[in-house]
Amino acid sequence: MTERLLRFTVNGEPREVRVADDRRLVDVLRDDLRLTGTKEGCSVGVCGVCGVLVDGALVSACLYPAVFADGASITTIEGIARGGTLAPLQEAFISEGGFQCGICTPGQIVAAAALLAERPRPTDAEIDEWMTGSLCRCTGYAGIRRAIRKAAGG
Amino acid sequence: MSYAYHEPSELDEALALLARHGDDAHAVAGATAFMLLYRQGLLRPSHVVGLRRVRSLGGIRDDGGALVIGATATHREAERSPLVARHCAALARAFASVATVRVRNQATVGGNLAHADPAQDPPAMLLALDAAVTAVSPGGTREIPLAELFVDVLTTSLAPGELITAVRVPALAPGTRAAYVKFLPRTADDYATVSVAATLRRSEDGRVADVRVVLGAVGPTPIRATSAEDALRGAAPDAARIAEAAALARDAADPIDDVRGSAAYKREMARVWTERALRSLVA
Amino acid sequence: MKLAHSSTVPVPVERVWTVVMDVPRAAACVPGVSGVSGAGEDRFRGDLAVQVGPVRLSFSGEVAIVARDDAAHRATLRADAKEARLGGSVHASVEIALARAGEGCALRIESDLQVAGRIGELGQPLIQRKADQLLREFGACLARTAA
Repeated sequence: MTERLLRFTVNGEPREVRVADDRRLVDVLRDDLRLTGTKEGCSVGVCGVCGVLVDGALVSACLYPAVFADGASITTIEGIARGGTLAPLQEAFISEGGFQCGICTPGQIVAAAALLAERPRPTDAEIDEWMTGSLCRCTGYAGIRRAIRKAAGG
Repeated sequence: MSYAYHEPSELDEALALLARHGDDAHAVAGATAFMLLYRQGLLRPSHVVGLRRVRSLGGIRDDGGALVIGATATHREAERSPLVARHCAALARAFASVATVRVRNQATVGGNLAHADPAQDPPAMLLALDAAVTAVSPGGTREIPLAELFVDVLTTSLAPGELITAVRVPALAPGTRAAYVKFLPRTADDYATVSVAATLRRSEDGRVADVRVVLGAVGPTPIRATSAEDALRGAAPDAARIAEAAALARDAADPIDDVRGSAAYKREMARVWTERALRSLVA
Repeated sequence: MKLAHSSTVPVPVERVWTVVMDVPRAAACVPGVSGVSGAGEDRFRGDLAVQVGPVRLSFSGEVAIVARDDAAHRATLRADAKEARLGGSVHASVEIALARAGEGCALRIESDLQVAGRIGELGQPLIQRKADQLLREFGACLARTAA
């Protein structure tokens, strides 16, 4: 018994997938479900590019056993926009220059969405603390912070 | 070769699985540390026993003035718990100091203690607060004071197949103040170069009635700087006395050279940060 | 990775030297060693089980005395071991030197360790700490055995 059928919802859609017990959520999302918006960077939970929400909680999908997701509701970057329209947060990343090469952007946006769900009007200090460990190696963090502030209506 | 994952809902079932599979089994709660070691190829269990569905291991409660944090409570639950904040704000801060929000959403309080990483934040603070874990095995239940839990790097006094069910933080004597400070010269989500957890209570004449000083990240386990405590106990905690105690804390540190600093530098920083922690407690 | 260990044993240097050069007897002083047997002149095979936290390692290999000076109480050993559980190997060159220290004997062991394969993932600080611990226990046991 080293394989099982997992049932969960991804971005609101019910999914079933048969996985080996030791698979990571990031692999199931990218390889089995072809949701490649979630990236893999450091593979050790440090860089933040694989950030997804499991029942609303932000986790690193590279550290998250897929078996833990059984029965859960998962949100990936593909679930942030609705009906082909970018979310205000995504628009804010564009207008404020919150990215350059883009590799970290899915993780940044999912992390920021989790922050705004919990604290709709975060202070700059709260933004900085929350976004710690969502690494960006080209733009720097000022644009990202501006984008989050803008999406929060500030 | 994958392992077989088991997710029992009862503690007895978890203990039975661990007993049945012995060395071939590994218990996980949040599984953050396990996933790292497994992916590095350092652990090769045939069976993994997940504790997350065992209800009796979760939750945070007050037990007659003592704070009891269930083993599978996440760091995030602990840092946001009004019970934890009311018991000791510095403890909530120590939980909030761990890595990033992503890790704190997944990693558990019991798993952190069982992993016994001396550079982690909660162990030092919990040791300063005189906490003990409740451990259960097929042979029964026992309390292990934190001072006896940590044996070496990544090594505890838990017997094979024995599980932490909760950590218990006794009521603080009225007037006790607590501090947790963490020196992070690199990034905010890094392990500490040195961390200091301290508690201090003064008597009516202003002298130190009780004090505990614990150093994190500068030894194979969190280190209680008892000589520094002795220098303060019964004394008026003026700047000179605090400086003297901090110098003794430096001597208690047993660090190694690594990317977070040379051993000599870490010892010196143990002095500096102990002084800062103690000053904040008498300010 | 270089390791240095020194300790003082309250036993005359000749007695300690006899034990150290009796490899199966000396090896019994290393915690976790088992199954030591001869494998030719000045060569020995054996197993070593080591636990670093939750990580269990099991080495199997050979130790050879490559140089010895009985008068000066100095010897050079070469150890080559494979780790079977996780995969990896350790190669070590070990210099042992004994010297008179009052009534007793000063023991100095200098090792140069090459760690290869997956066990290297443990990282130098942890490997170093474990090796230090083994050497410390070896020194203490040697004192008891030679006394």
